[in-house]
Amino acid sequence: MTALGKLVRTTAFKLSFAYLLVFALFAGALLVYFAWTTRALVTSQIAQTVEAEITGLAEQYRQAGIRRLVLIVDTRSRRPGSSLYLVTTATGEALAGNVGSLPPGTLERTGLIEITYHRPDEADESREALVRVFRLENGFRLLVGRDLEERERLHNIITTAGHWSIALVIVLGLAGGFFITRRVLKRVDAMTATTQTIMAGNFGGRLPVAGTGDEFDRLADNLNVMLARIEALMHGLAEVSDNIAHDLKTPLTRLRNHAEEALRTATNEAAYRDALVNTIEESDGLIRTFNALLMIARAESGHTRETFETFDATEIVRDICELYEPLAEENGLRLKVITDTALPVRGNRELVSQALSNLMDNAIKYAVPASTGDNARAITISATGREGKALVSVADSGPGIPAGDRVRATERFVRLESSRTKPGSGLGLSLVAAVARLHDGELQLVDNNPGLVATIVLPLAAHAES
Amino acid sequence: MPSPDTWTSPTLAADQIVRMAMRILIIEDDRDAADYLVKAFREVGHVADMATDGEEGLALALEARHDVLIVDRMLPKRDGLSIIGALREKAINVPVLILSALGQVDDRVKGLRAGGDDYLAKPYAFSELLARIEVLARRRPGPNEETVYRIGDLELDRLSHEVTRGGAEIALQPREFRLLEYLMKHAGQVVTRTMLLENVWDYHFDPQTNVIDVHISRLRSKIDKGFSRPLLHTIRGAGYMVRDAKGANIPAP
Repeated sequence: MTALGKLVRTTAFKLSFAYLLVFALFAGALLVYFAWTTRALVTSQIAQTVEAEITGLAEQYRQAGIRRLVLIVDTRSRRPGSSLYLVTTATGEALAGNVGSLPPGTLERTGLIEITYHRPDEADESREALVRVFRLENGFRLLVGRDLEERERLHNIITTAGHWSIALVIVLGLAGGFFITRRVLKRVDAMTATTQTIMAGNFGGRLPVAGTGDEFDRLADNLNVMLARIEALMHGLAEVSDNIAHDLKTPLTRLRNHAEEALRTATNEAAYRDALVNTIEESDGLIRTFNALLMIARAESGHTRETFETFDATEIVRDICELYEPLAEENGLRLKVITDTALPVRGNRELVSQALSNLMDNAIKYAVPASTGDNARAITISATGREGKALVSVADSGPGIPAGDRVRATERFVRLESSRTKPGSGLGLSLVAAVARLHDGELQLVDNNPGLVATIVLPLAAHAES
Repeated sequence: MPSPDTWTSPTLAADQIVRMAMRILIIEDDRDAADYLVKAFREVGHVADMATDGEEGLALALEARHDVLIVDRMLPKRDGLSIIGALREKAINVPVLILSALGQVDDRVKGLRAGGDDYLAKPYAFSELLARIEVLARRRPGPNEETVYRIGDLELDRLSHEVTRGGAEIALQPREFRLLEYLMKHAGQVVTRTMLLENVWDYHFDPQTNVIDVHISRLRSKIDKGFSRPLLHTIRGAGYMVRDAKGANIPAP
C-alpha cells in the first residue's frame, strides 16, 4: 500500500473529507442565496427609480404637452449613464430617446419587463435592460428603463468570489485533512510498533503517552493498565508453573523411586503387594493435589459464580462442626461452636464448606498433642456477623504461623518449614483464600496466643445486593 | 466414651462379597480404559459391553438390554450428556453414571441436571466405581419404599426414627440415624466413604482426614457392641457394608 493510499484509507481522513464536503455544500448554498438576494435588491431599486422618473415625466407631459416632454427626454438621453428613454407616437414612430431597436411588441406591454435592445450607435451589440412603458394621453408612448450592465457586473463579481472561495475551502480542507491524518497516523503507528514488540515477547513494553490528555492518551493509559495486569498474570503463571513442577515432581519422583526400589529389592509377593499399595497411595495424593490446583484455578477465574445461591453461613459452620466433632474428640480435642443468628451469604455452599473443612483439617492436624492446659486442647469454630460481613473463623492453639509468614501461607503451594513433615499438599490455605476471593471476601490469619485464628470474611447477602 | 477400637472390627475382603450379575454398557473413547473396565467387571462376575464413540454407544443403549450405563462426557461423534438426553426422551430410564475428567462442583451439577444418576470424576478407584454401579443398578423405585428396614435383629423405623436391636432401643444422633438409614437401604452392597459424604452429608469434596471412619466407629459401637454377630462390616480398600453374616438379606435385583 502506498503512503498516500494508507493516508486516504484512515478514519481521520475519511472524516475530514466528509466534513469538507458538508462544509463546501453549505458555503455554496450560502453564496447562491447571497447572489440571488443581491440581484433582487438591485432589481427592486432600479424598478423604484424607473417608476419615479416615469411619474415625473408623465407629470411634465400633462402640464406642458408633448413638445416639452420630447425636449426633456432628448436632454436626458444625451447624458452619459445607464438610463434609457424613448418617446413614440401611437404608431410606434420614435420622437426622442436613446434606444435603437426594441423587441417587437414591447410598446404594447405594460409593467416592468426585462428586454434585449440595441443602442442606436451599436446595432450589432444587444444589451439587457429593465424598462417600463407608459401610455400617455393622445396615444403617445413613454419608455423609461435602466441598462442592467451594472447588475450583471455585480452578479459576476459575487459568482467569481464564490467559486474562488469554494475552491479555497476545498484546498485548505484537503490540506488540513492530510495534516490531521498524518498526525493521527503517526501516533497510531507508534502504538502499533509498541504493540508489535510486546507481541514479540517484550511484556515490559508500554504504549507511548503524549501527555496531552486527549483520547489517544486515555486509550494508551487504559491499555497500559491492561498490559500491566497481563504482565502480572504472566508472571504469576510462570511462578505457578514452577511451583507446580516442584510440588508435582517431588511426589512423582518419590513414587518412581519406590517402584524402582521394589523391583530391585522385593523378593516375595507380599513385598510387591506393599509396593503397589504404596504406589496407589502416592498417586491418590497426587490426584488430590491436582484437584486442589484445578479448584483454585476455577475459583480464581470466577467461573463458578454462575452457580451462586443464598445460604446461611451459621448452618455451614454447624454442619462442618457436626462432621468433625467425632474426629476432634478422637484426637483429644474439644470443639467449641459459637454462632450468631442466621447470616445469609451469597455464594457456593459446597466451596465454602470445603474451605471451612480445610481450616478444620489444619486445626486438627497442627493441634498440640500433649496438653499444657485445658484451653490448649480446644478448637473454637464460630460464625458471627459484623458491619455487613459474616466472619467464619476457626481458632486453634497449635504452633500458629509466624507473623512474617502469614501472607505467604495463603499463596499457592507454600508449605512453611515447620509443616514439611506433616502430610498435605500445601494448598489448603491457598484454596481457602481463593474461595474467599471468589465470594468478594478475604482470608485473615491472626495470632491466637498461642495458635492461629483463620477467618473467612464474606459479605452478607443483603449488603452485597445494595 | 469407650474407644471403638477396643474390639476387633469385622473386616471383609472385597472378593468375599456375594454379587448378582449385572449387564453393564461402557461408553468410553479411550480403548485402554474401556478394556480395563470390561475386564475388571468380568472378574467380579458382571457382564460388560463397550462402545468407543457416542453414536455406537447410543445405538447399543437404545436396545435397552443393560442394567446400568457408564458414560464418558467427552466422546467422539456425540457427547455423553446428549446420549443421556436422547435416552430420557425415549423414556429409557436405565440408570446412568457419568464418568468424566471434568470433576468440579459445577460440572457435576451440569451432569446430574442432564439426566445422569451419579457422577464420578476421573481418575477413580475401581472399587468406588463398582460400589456406585451396584447401588445404581439395584435402585428400587421410589414411592413404595419400605418404612421399616430389617437386617438380622436390627430394625430401623423410618417414620418414627426408632432403631432397635434384639428388641432393645438404641439412641442415635440425627446424623447417625441418617448414616445407618443409608447403609441399611443399601444392605448387602458396598458403600464407599465418598458415597456416604455425598448422600448423608451432601458434600462432594474429599476431606483429607478420616472423618467418615470415625463416624462409622461411633455408629458401630452403638449397634454392634455387645452382640455376637456384627452387622456393620468394613470392606477392605473399598468402604462399608451392612449385612447379616448369613447373607439372607441381600435384596433381589
